[in-house]
Amino acid sequence: MSQKTRIRRFTPVQRLFHLLLILSFLTQGSTGLARLYIASSWGKSLAWVFGGYDACRTIHIYVGIFLVCFFVAHVLYVLTKINWKKLSGPDSLLPRPKDIKDFFQHIGWFLGISKAPEFDRWGYWEKFDYWAVFWGVPLLGATGLLMAYPLTATKIMPGWGLNVALWIHRIEAILAMCHVFIIHFFIVHLRRHNFPMDRAMFEGSADLTATRHERPAWIARLQEAGELESKLVAEAPAGRRAIFYVFGYAAVVVGIFLLIGGLVNSPYITW
Amino acid sequence: MIGTKRVRWVIPCLAAIFLVTEVILPTLVSAQEEVASYIRRYKDREASTGFYEQYEVKPRRMAPLVEVPGVTRGIFPYSPSAAKVRIRTRLADSHWGIKFYERRRCEECHIRETRDIHTTRANLTCRQCHGGEPIASLGHYYSPFNPIRKHAYVCAKCHQGANASYASYIVHSPNPALASTRQAFPVLFYVFWFMVILAGGTFVVFLPHTALWGARELFVKKEKAEGESKD
Repeated sequence: MSQKTRIRRFTPVQRLFHLLLILSFLTQGSTGLARLYIASSWGKSLAWVFGGYDACRTIHIYVGIFLVCFFVAHVLYVLTKINWKKLSGPDSLLPRPKDIKDFFQHIGWFLGISKAPEFDRWGYWEKFDYWAVFWGVPLLGATGLLMAYPLTATKIMPGWGLNVALWIHRIEAILAMCHVFIIHFFIVHLRRHNFPMDRAMFEGSADLTATRHERPAWIARLQEAGELESKLVAEAPAGRRAIFYVFGYAAVVVGIFLLIGGLVNSPYITW
Repeated sequence: MIGTKRVRWVIPCLAAIFLVTEVILPTLVSAQEEVASYIRRYKDREASTGFYEQYEVKPRRMAPLVEVPGVTRGIFPYSPSAAKVRIRTRLADSHWGIKFYERRRCEECHIRETRDIHTTRANLTCRQCHGGEPIASLGHYYSPFNPIRKHAYVCAKCHQGANASYASYIVHSPNPALASTRQAFPVLFYVFWFMVILAGGTFVVFLPHTALWGARELFVKKEKAEGESKD
């Protein structure tokens, strides 16, 4: 029997949400960039994968609608699971004053002038990533729907609003992609603590020793409450771990491809 | 001798062929073509006349059909003291009086208008929307671009069902980053800069943060996973 060396962090439903978010986000990024860069050979190649310029739009619209629905489903899920009594506690993803303190202490640790902060269950960067989706998806979804159905949209707003919606959509999409492909990928895959990959979001659990090192406040709280043992699980079989690595790195490769291709071909964008 | 007789026949034959082709073939014109985008050579439906595959030929110069007495040539008294100036926003022919107009191309003066989504991506040439000569000023009562009929005469050619609100979409949208857009399209200007500051602010904080984090962890001994050898 394998040892319980890992601590459970995410439920299967939460992992499914993340998996769907990865797939829909990469599809939206690829089809959106294919259209933005259609004047370049890189953009044409990217569009070819999805069936061409017009097909990219169709896919972008339907996956976008799926993403909005799935976001609404996530909000409903959260509302059913939320523990209202512990809303401001350390298990909540709501920002707390301690997050600001942790952020500055962390910067101090980077510069070698203070001790590393003792993180609890959620780090401030994880909360930022989570809430960024909450402003990103509504903004991209609303502006995207307005542009996808302009005849309907202009019954409730003036046509020039679509000019504004287009720029909100573009800048927010570029912000989201750059954040995920540079910052999120680096933090969860490439920094030394997590290298080669933090499997927590795929496997559902994190290595106990590494967690004890990075999130000592959480482990101490669980030990004090006597809940640590109940949260320990065994590592996934090697075959399943291999799938996690292949899938995770496939997502990274797609992201880096879009990032580098986008930067290199940026002079050919037809705004 | 026989060869010389044949040569004598060749010249009249060539002349006859030339005359016949002159009658049958279209009139020769100088190269006045506007290259269209290559993204979508043929669309689902032809949107308008004047668009032939990849090339568009400028129509012959024509006088405007509609004239307003006294303003035919677009000379309006600008002010009691100033010289008379031409106001091109209300003319039956907005290009009236431009020298060598027949030999000029739209983009020579309207370069910015050739760089938006409708022209670069949707494969539209200028005349598909603006029509043939004379092109009336946008503010002219009879112009297809007059807001009272633009949605029906211009937008609805491709976007069936377009209403007047829809037609207020700015096809030749200004560059949102420019200071001049603050006057021309203030909402676009302020929203654009708000979004740029939002995105820029995120990266100003998180890019150095991530780089410093990555660098700092290089100087920390990596903890071994549970069950891994401590050696």
